[in-house]
Amino acid sequence: MPSTDAAPLTPLALSEDLPPATVMPIWTPEGPMALWRSVGGTLSLAADRCPHRGMRLSHGFVRGEALSCIYHGWSYDQGGRCLRIPAHPDLEPPASIRVATGSVLEAGGVIWRARADDPSLPPDFPGFVPLRSLSFAVSRDVISRTLGGESAGPGILKGTLAGSAVILLCAEQAEGTSLIHLLAPADATLDQRIAVSRAAETLRRAAETGTTEAAA
Amino acid sequence: MKLYDYILSPSCYKVRLLAALLGIPLELRAVDFHPGGEHRTPALLALNPAGSIPILEDDDLRLTESAAMLVYLASLKSSDWLGRDTAAEAARTEQWLSFAQRLTASLGGARLCEMLLRPGDLAALQAAGIAALRELEAALVEQRLRGERFLVADRPTIADIACFPYVALAPDGSVSLDPYPSIRLWLRAVRALPGFIEMPGIHRLHELKPEPVHGAEGEPA
Ligand SMILES: N[C@H](CCC(=O)N[C@@H](CS)C(=O)NCC(=O)O)C(=O)O
Ligand code: FES
Repeated sequence: MPSTDAAPLTPLALSEDLPPATVMPIWTPEGPMALWRSVGGTLSLAADRCPHRGMRLSHGFVRGEALSCIYHGWSYDQGGRCLRIPAHPDLEPPASIRVATGSVLEAGGVIWRARADDPSLPPDFPGFVPLRSLSFAVSRDVISRTLGGESAGPGILKGTLAGSAVILLCAEQAEGTSLIHLLAPADATLDQRIAVSRAAETLRRAAETGTTEAAA
Repeated sequence: MKLYDYILSPSCYKVRLLAALLGIPLELRAVDFHPGGEHRTPALLALNPAGSIPILEDDDLRLTESAAMLVYLASLKSSDWLGRDTAAEAARTEQWLSFAQRLTASLGGARLCEMLLRPGDLAALQAAGIAALRELEAALVEQRLRGERFLVADRPTIADIACFPYVALAPDGSVSLDPYPSIRLWLRAVRALPGFIEMPGIHRLHELKPEPVHGAEGEPA
């Protein structure tokens, strides 16, 4: 699927899954990235590869406003610049040591990959709140067919799970897999939310085993 | 209390971890599991004919199942950790203790294949491990919806300790933990517990330690 201008904004993760002072791995068409939130709450996206020896920065840790690599502790600021090399505490790290970064936007409890040159805002979904993210070992098209819902924009599906209206934000991942961010009605009760989460598991089983009937 | 222990064994680590969290001192007796295979020697088979570790001895009590060891340690010290406040809670705790055996068989089996080059159907073990991780993730999603951070309550219990090590070490068997946001937060919550101890492959939360000052040791160079 070409990702040129059709869907400049890609959903990456749910805000609740990334509390302050945490980092998570994210797959994007540009490659693996580390999405992290500072202690102060600022979101950043960095290439998931430490410039030192290539360790995944998503295995690292957040201290204050910096992301540190788990391997030798090099730390990076939100712009990707290396701040500190513990083995050489007196050295001001050269400006040339930096990790590539990307832009993100957060709205309605969803974190989106944005483009610095594109001012569009993420879609919003009045009446819906994020429930959970889950990955499917099949493409978006298979999920769409299994759900039997309707498309509501690029990568956005509307349907019904366990009797509740739902929205699925789909992001294609590596090797034909898909990451789904599931939104449920804001007024759903706890029991209804749990039922929707379980129905999503059923949908995934059906999609992955090629059962065509809808899981609603 | 004496634990027959091997540093790289996730099942032994469960017992060491809970003992540390509860402040119970253990006498550790190192077993040369690999490469020595000491757990299969006559002396060790005399203690546990099943030929597995951990083995826990306390006076005339001898235990060979880690789940029973967790129950014993928690019963000695604190009923909170037992996860038995209500009938439903007790049953759910048991459910996770049994589930932990599936983690040992699947993720643990994949890890033995990858790390010790044990023969086995790696792809089947990994698939069973992924199925177990998906179940765990779904359960933790429901717990979070209920406002609870751990497996059976909003406090840690032996259910969490029984499941934690093999899940945390899944990447050793080439099973990725990337797709599970609720598992990620749960692993973090366990690692943040006061008194948490490490094993090779499972580290503490570095960010909870103060930033090392100029030239101090503590972080690898
Ligand atoms: N008895 C079970 C199993 C423990 C277990 O799997 N132990 C492994 C080491 S981590 C073992 O001794 N395996 C015997 C072998 O692989 O030869 C428990 O206590 O949970
Ligand atoms: S690989 Fe990241 S600090 Fe060395």
